[in-house]
Amino acid sequence: MWNGHIWGMKVHNLGVILVLLVIGSGLLWLLARALRGKEVDRRVIFAFIFVSVAAPLLITMTFTFRATPIVEAVFDKIESLPPGSHVLISYDFDPAMAPEVQPMANVLTRHALVRNHKVIFMCLFATGQGQLNVTLRDVIAADFPDKLDGIDYVNLGYKAGNEGVLNVIVSDFKKMFPTDVNTVPFDSIELLDGIKSCKDLDLVISIGGGLPGLKEWILFVGDPGGVPTAGGVAAVVAPQLYPYYPRQLLGLLGGVKGAAEYESHFRERYPQFDDMPTPAIIMMGPQTIAHIVIMSFIVIGNILYFRERRKGRRV
Amino acid sequence: MRYRPILLFLLILLCFTTALGQEPTDETEGPPDTVVVDSSLLPAPVTNLQARDTEDDNGHSVTLTWDVSTDDGSGRDDVYMYMIYRSMSPEGPFDSVGVAMKGATEHVNSSSKDRAQPDFMPDHTDYYYQVGAVTVGGLITRSDVAGPVQSYGQFFNMGRIPVFVFVVVFCALVVFFVASARKGADLYVRPLAGIEAVDDAIGRATEMGRPILYVLGLGTAEMVATIASFTILGRVAKRVAEYQTKLIVPCYESIVMAVAQEVVKSAYADAGRPDDYDEDSVFFVTSLQFAYVAAVNGIMLRELPATNVYMGKFFAESLLLAETGSIAGSIQIAGTDEIAQIPFFIVACDYTLIGEELYAASAYLGREPILLGSLKAQDLAKAAVVIIALAGLIATTFGWPGFAEALHVEN
Amino acid sequence: MSRTGIVVFLVVCVLFVVSWVVKAGTGDPEGHYIRDGFLVTFAAFLTLAIMSFMYKDNPYYKFAEHLFVGVSAAYWMCLAFWSTLVGNLVPRISERLSNAFMVPHQPGEYNFFFYIPVILGILLLMRLSPKGGWISRWPLAFIVGTTAGLNFVRYLRSDFINQINSTFLPLAVDWQGFGHFFSNLSLNATGQFVAMFGNCVIFFGVLCGVIYFFFSKEHTGWFGRASRVGIWVLMITFGASFGYTVMGRISLLVGRLTFLLRDWLGIAS
Repeated sequence: MWNGHIWGMKVHNLGVILVLLVIGSGLLWLLARALRGKEVDRRVIFAFIFVSVAAPLLITMTFTFRATPIVEAVFDKIESLPPGSHVLISYDFDPAMAPEVQPMANVLTRHALVRNHKVIFMCLFATGQGQLNVTLRDVIAADFPDKLDGIDYVNLGYKAGNEGVLNVIVSDFKKMFPTDVNTVPFDSIELLDGIKSCKDLDLVISIGGGLPGLKEWILFVGDPGGVPTAGGVAAVVAPQLYPYYPRQLLGLLGGVKGAAEYESHFRERYPQFDDMPTPAIIMMGPQTIAHIVIMSFIVIGNILYFRERRKGRRV
Repeated sequence: MRYRPILLFLLILLCFTTALGQEPTDETEGPPDTVVVDSSLLPAPVTNLQARDTEDDNGHSVTLTWDVSTDDGSGRDDVYMYMIYRSMSPEGPFDSVGVAMKGATEHVNSSSKDRAQPDFMPDHTDYYYQVGAVTVGGLITRSDVAGPVQSYGQFFNMGRIPVFVFVVVFCALVVFFVASARKGADLYVRPLAGIEAVDDAIGRATEMGRPILYVLGLGTAEMVATIASFTILGRVAKRVAEYQTKLIVPCYESIVMAVAQEVVKSAYADAGRPDDYDEDSVFFVTSLQFAYVAAVNGIMLRELPATNVYMGKFFAESLLLAETGSIAGSIQIAGTDEIAQIPFFIVACDYTLIGEELYAASAYLGREPILLGSLKAQDLAKAAVVIIALAGLIATTFGWPGFAEALHVEN
Repeated sequence: MSRTGIVVFLVVCVLFVVSWVVKAGTGDPEGHYIRDGFLVTFAAFLTLAIMSFMYKDNPYYKFAEHLFVGVSAAYWMCLAFWSTLVGNLVPRISERLSNAFMVPHQPGEYNFFFYIPVILGILLLMRLSPKGGWISRWPLAFIVGTTAGLNFVRYLRSDFINQINSTFLPLAVDWQGFGHFFSNLSLNATGQFVAMFGNCVIFFGVLCGVIYFFFSKEHTGWFGRASRVGIWVLMITFGASFGYTVMGRISLLVGRLTFLLRDWLGIAS
């Protein structure tokens, strides 16, 4: 991005002001139009959302975040485990959910590896394997080239069976995963020495938002196996998981906001990763503007609603 | 020269022991993987090692407990993990069967119950255990031998008594109320606005000459929401058959489709119009979430159904479906137990059954003794929840932990 | 097709070809730049085709929709075969078949149990037979029954008993008398007042929420009032949930626009 100056103003700031001006004046126009009693076409609303998301992306508008206790709990757990602990990360999502949860998977993997934990990857979604390959390429190959498959991390791949898989691995891992994704037998993988079932793991993390997902991990592994369970989920299911925190769920990254908090916290604690990709933090720029626009729509809608109701009463 | 390898081995062994300034050791003494080094570098062993059968399991598992080495977290603090060894004789040989992290004081050694597996561990067999404290440099000091210990399975998992009690009580309530309903007891179910609207919506579709779209959601056939949806589908299909309106049921899952076909077929038969049943009215679309949404949205805009009924398990597609239905101008009735999706249905549909209302709706419509009895039993279970929560609140407020512990479910 | 439709179609075709040429031209000359250029252009076209539904239903949306449905149906069929039949079943029932499909054989003492799902699977296919269709109800009953039974205990434990346990919260947190309570009264998030207020909200919220879901009693009198509080609690919960979902949906839009603006058009960093 070009970072020059126009009329003594940094172009980045100028961009932000321009975006806010355009969106603000548009909203005022909408309000005026609505007050005159004219209908607003839904396509106008779509156009507003498009602009409020696209413009901050073009000018890379970012904010800083502080980790909330529920996010910090996951961070602290990974931080407090002794090096060499076994951390399982399950990719329970597909490309449709990826923009929201892939940043979580990447930053959690990065954190586990920088703490020298042994990471076990698996998927309950068939298409999760493709997303797992993204992490292997963007995180492990890029930032941890010295980490070895089978010693520092292992990819067990996808296994069909949804909750059935969890029901088995809570007591016997090898039964469901006799080999890793490269058909290396379970017993020959150094990293899995001493791992018979999920009960031998130090932490289980499920990244997802669909079915099966984090809730199933709590129901089938966390609760019956007494395994510390944490996760990162798409925003849409996050409220459903709050009741499990903190007794049944160690911590939770809810939506892109949770991911941004984790990225921020991780960068703060590990300055050597200051220039790592932070997709969640970048995504929070458009999020913020879009949320302001949506809140404005709600306010405008309510003004109109009460106005119409008052008119109705008069009649 | 058959003895050359042996002579060579002895020569290397002599060189090695001389270089260390130690006397050569007898290989029959000591554990096989012990390297002879300055004993002051060895970590202190773990103490008080105890081995016992793992409680409340199906056998093939032994639990070990110990006090950590004095060099773990204190002393030289160079212990970084513990190796677990197992043998069938106190003299050995001991095999490594697991590891525990630094600071750990417990390890569960569970093995396979399948004889065909190499790590099979038979029950009712004597085992002996040792725990080795391992330093960063790889030096190991083993503890005293613990054992003999035998693993065996328990018939009853005592940790799950609260679950057992709830299951027994709830099942007893269900049986009692189902029996009462069968005997003709009048079990009241409060009216549900969403269900009252179904008949009107079908009538509207008939008047307009447009079809009714019934979406069973993305749940599988065994999910409670889907099962409840089948009951409501049966009722809708029966009315549709009576009014001779067109019904469209696109399915996300093949087994759901199979059940839905049976339900609709039976409903047409019940309405006395088995010949009007069109097999193609209930069809499979795809098992990919957004592809399914794209297809159903397309159907909504092309067929312009007068009424859309969404009952079952819904996820991210709920608003996409309801929004498109709203654009198409259809009357929309929804019901799901997926809490995250209810808000979308509330804002985009005309009537919404919230959570358990979906299950109640199937009982309300069917008036079958089994459903009514279950609903009544559920209500009593909810009353029990209220009483237990109130008692728990009082107990916790006054600092009596025994009540919460009695309800705690062990592994 | 109308004249406008033909013009739009031609414009789309021209833009597609231009994009393909430009993307191929800017691709890695050592790699598969023609293929990669096509894939990025085609993905962008499909994204825009689906988004065009926001304007109105049109042939481009229909094309993308049908392609998506067709590809996904075929994908899931192949996946079910390779991951369920070949991945889970074949290695446990036959060494010869395992070798044929090049998957490691998994001998086991109880592998004969796996013939049961094979039989049930065959019975399920009986629904294709006009006369023997009723047989398929048996495996269906088995699937529904076993999974419901399995889930019953799990849910009872985690979603019922453990959740009830989580409502056992003290109404008086760190109670040292009224004097201490009022002298330390503050709205600090970690303070005594907020903790007690939070516990009260959780407890009474659960209580009133449960009362709303009583179906065998009319909602009148005090019961009706508690039920109305319950529906308010539910609506507030739904509002919070709605807010979360808006965030989720915007994230997905950001993901798609990032693809369009960065990977396709190359105008975002």
